[in-house]
Amino acid sequence: MTPDTAPSENPFSTRRIRPGAVTFLFPEGQSCRGLIERLRRNGWQGEIVGPHGSGKSSLLACFVPELHRAGHETVRVELHDGQRRLPLKLRKLGRLSPSTVMVVDGYEQLGPWGRFRLKFFCRRRRLGLVITSHVPIDFPKLFDTVSNAETAQLLVDRLLEGYERLIDERDVLQAYARQEGNLREMLFDLYDVYESRRRRQSSPA
Amino acid sequence: MRRYRGGETVLPRGLRFYPKKRGDRRTGSGRWGRLGEALFFTVFLAAGIGFLALVVITLLVPLWRLNNDFAETSCRVLDKRISEEPGEDGTLYRPELEIEYQVKGRTYRVWAYDIPPTHSSGRDDKQATLDSFIIHNDQNNQLYPCWYDPLEPKTVALVRGYGWMPLMALIPLVFIIVGGGGLIYTVLHWGKSAEHKAAAGLSSRETFPNIPDDSNITNSPGTTLDFRLPMATSPGWALFGVLMACLFWNGIVSVFVAIAVNSHLEGNPEWFLTIFITPFVLVGIGLVFLFIRQLLITTGVGPTLVEISGHPLHPGDHCDLFLSQSGRLSVNSIAVSLVCEEEATYRQGTDTRTESREVRRVELYRREGFEIHRGLPFEAECELDIPADAMHSLKADHNEINWQIVVDGDIAGWPDYSRSFPVVIRPASDGGQA
Amino acid sequence: MNASDIVIQLDGKEPAEGPIVGRSRSYEPGEILSGQYTIDATSLGGKELSAVEVSVLWYSEGKGDEDLDVHEFWRKSTDDGDFIDPMRPERFSTTLPRSPLSYDGLIVKIRWCVRVRAFVGRREIVAELGFQLGNVPPPEEVEQ
Repeated sequence: MTPDTAPSENPFSTRRIRPGAVTFLFPEGQSCRGLIERLRRNGWQGEIVGPHGSGKSSLLACFVPELHRAGHETVRVELHDGQRRLPLKLRKLGRLSPSTVMVVDGYEQLGPWGRFRLKFFCRRRRLGLVITSHVPIDFPKLFDTVSNAETAQLLVDRLLEGYERLIDERDVLQAYARQEGNLREMLFDLYDVYESRRRRQSSPA
Repeated sequence: MRRYRGGETVLPRGLRFYPKKRGDRRTGSGRWGRLGEALFFTVFLAAGIGFLALVVITLLVPLWRLNNDFAETSCRVLDKRISEEPGEDGTLYRPELEIEYQVKGRTYRVWAYDIPPTHSSGRDDKQATLDSFIIHNDQNNQLYPCWYDPLEPKTVALVRGYGWMPLMALIPLVFIIVGGGGLIYTVLHWGKSAEHKAAAGLSSRETFPNIPDDSNITNSPGTTLDFRLPMATSPGWALFGVLMACLFWNGIVSVFVAIAVNSHLEGNPEWFLTIFITPFVLVGIGLVFLFIRQLLITTGVGPTLVEISGHPLHPGDHCDLFLSQSGRLSVNSIAVSLVCEEEATYRQGTDTRTESREVRRVELYRREGFEIHRGLPFEAECELDIPADAMHSLKADHNEINWQIVVDGDIAGWPDYSRSFPVVIRPASDGGQA
Repeated sequence: MNASDIVIQLDGKEPAEGPIVGRSRSYEPGEILSGQYTIDATSLGGKELSAVEVSVLWYSEGKGDEDLDVHEFWRKSTDDGDFIDPMRPERFSTTLPRSPLSYDGLIVKIRWCVRVRAFVGRREIVAELGFQLGNVPPPEEVEQ
């Protein structure tokens, strides 16, 4: 992993905005520990639901280490681009401790048979199961990731710490509106704005 | 202190994922798998060799001897018949003549025609062959040439030549090539990991790490200049792709349109379906227009050929470029440019986004206001100067820097077209940028 | 202990830290990159320095997933019987490759660096020093 000690010239480059690089911004009164507690009350089953680019993977990036700190092992699966089957053989997972939580990012990609097998596997071995999805499935709700202009501004402020402020609030609002609330695309949009201004600033007059 | 030389590409990860994200993918076959592969190819090779031996012994050798070793003499025809034998798709026939000839004072009387004896379909042409020979009698003293085997004079034929028979040898050759090639590949890669296999033969990668392979450019010689550049996307394939999309989309939409139209005609209109299907119909119409546009480009604008005089290319290089544009066109302008594009792919969650950005465009040639006539392609030559400060081509798993020769045509009364021809620019050969 | 306790220096190149300015810390392909690193022993706090890894590598930056390729790699480990003396500067040297060159593109950037990773107890401390390979100027934006 490229360490954070290496400075980026653009604060919106992917290495700075990828899940885990930026701490997830919880609404007031909520935290990762609170999510763990809610998950426990729901029998270690839960879904994180939100539209594209709303921060589901970023939330997992802070949630999974918190699970580890709470003494739970995790098996993480990420499904991409219409991947309809699990990319691992469940029977080859071997012996898992009962405190293990399966984390499936992109659960709605799975076909009905894949979902059934996964749920049956977790139920049989008494494992926890946390999923992310763009639409509600039939799991107890753990968290809804929603984006709003305020969250977008907070996120940008955090990314700009230690960098020249070539982006202002109006840029953020315009990018947020252009990308219709998709925070990830908004950040990519701001990458271009920042890059353009940085170059203009550094090029000789 | 232990030292390791690099070459391993590592994808940084923010979090630990389960190792295989994209399905259960084997990176190398096990021992039994390789054994199975070797056995499969050995069987293919053995079958090919066996079949080839059979073809050589029963067909090629007799044919060669007939045409080179057999001695010529004269014979008279005593009788004729058509021999029949059953075939897979019906009866097969062969013309046969009873002939009499002399070899070293000894008289031979045999039934013969060709060597090797070959039956085939079509009785009529065999009959016609027989009709061309006249049976010897008191009124007719016709003699015909024949060729006999000096080692076995009873073996004789009335026709010579090779015909198409030797082509039979091609069939076992295919088996031999597949079997032998596969066996060699399996043996060479026995016990090697996927990484070792990937590293084999990548000498240019070691010399220029992360520079794309340019063999696709150097393996196509030009007719005017040294190298003909391949097009990035063939217009034929683009047309095919648009056609498939058009047929697929409109095929599905048409079913619902038919239902909606029927309902209106029957006086029981399905308004919900009609309103719902309307945007899909509009998309379908758009696809039809797109197909027509692509068809016009593909059929109206003929092939575009680009050739260059040098490869590989380096910053600061100068070489020649040749352009040929066919068709029957009234050209507003045609321009040839050297273009550099950056391409970045980002995957997160269920989303994959690939973005391209043009970062450099150098116009090499432009001509305006002229006609191209069918059968007389427009041709032009110009200089291809690689900028001295150009970044080299780059190919990594998620990031690329691509250079292309782009031909842009602005045609009167016709859709504009743009055709790209990838090139590879390596770092300056002396190790530094000019 | 933190990253600032590891100091990387490249022979004959100034400034020894901070961003690359102009032609500072700049190399040509095929040139020999050499230098040394030191670890501040007082920062170990009594913990054992079990291993040190040094890499010369490039990584991408921009709008795509990161790519990374290690050109040269050295490792010293007490498990392998190596003696690691944090008081003594350790030298490294390698011949730089011909590609890829450093590049400050619009959405694709290529960065080269020397990275030192120290394993102290259960922690890993990483420091790196960037350098420039080649002299490719940044592209200008093209009107889309």
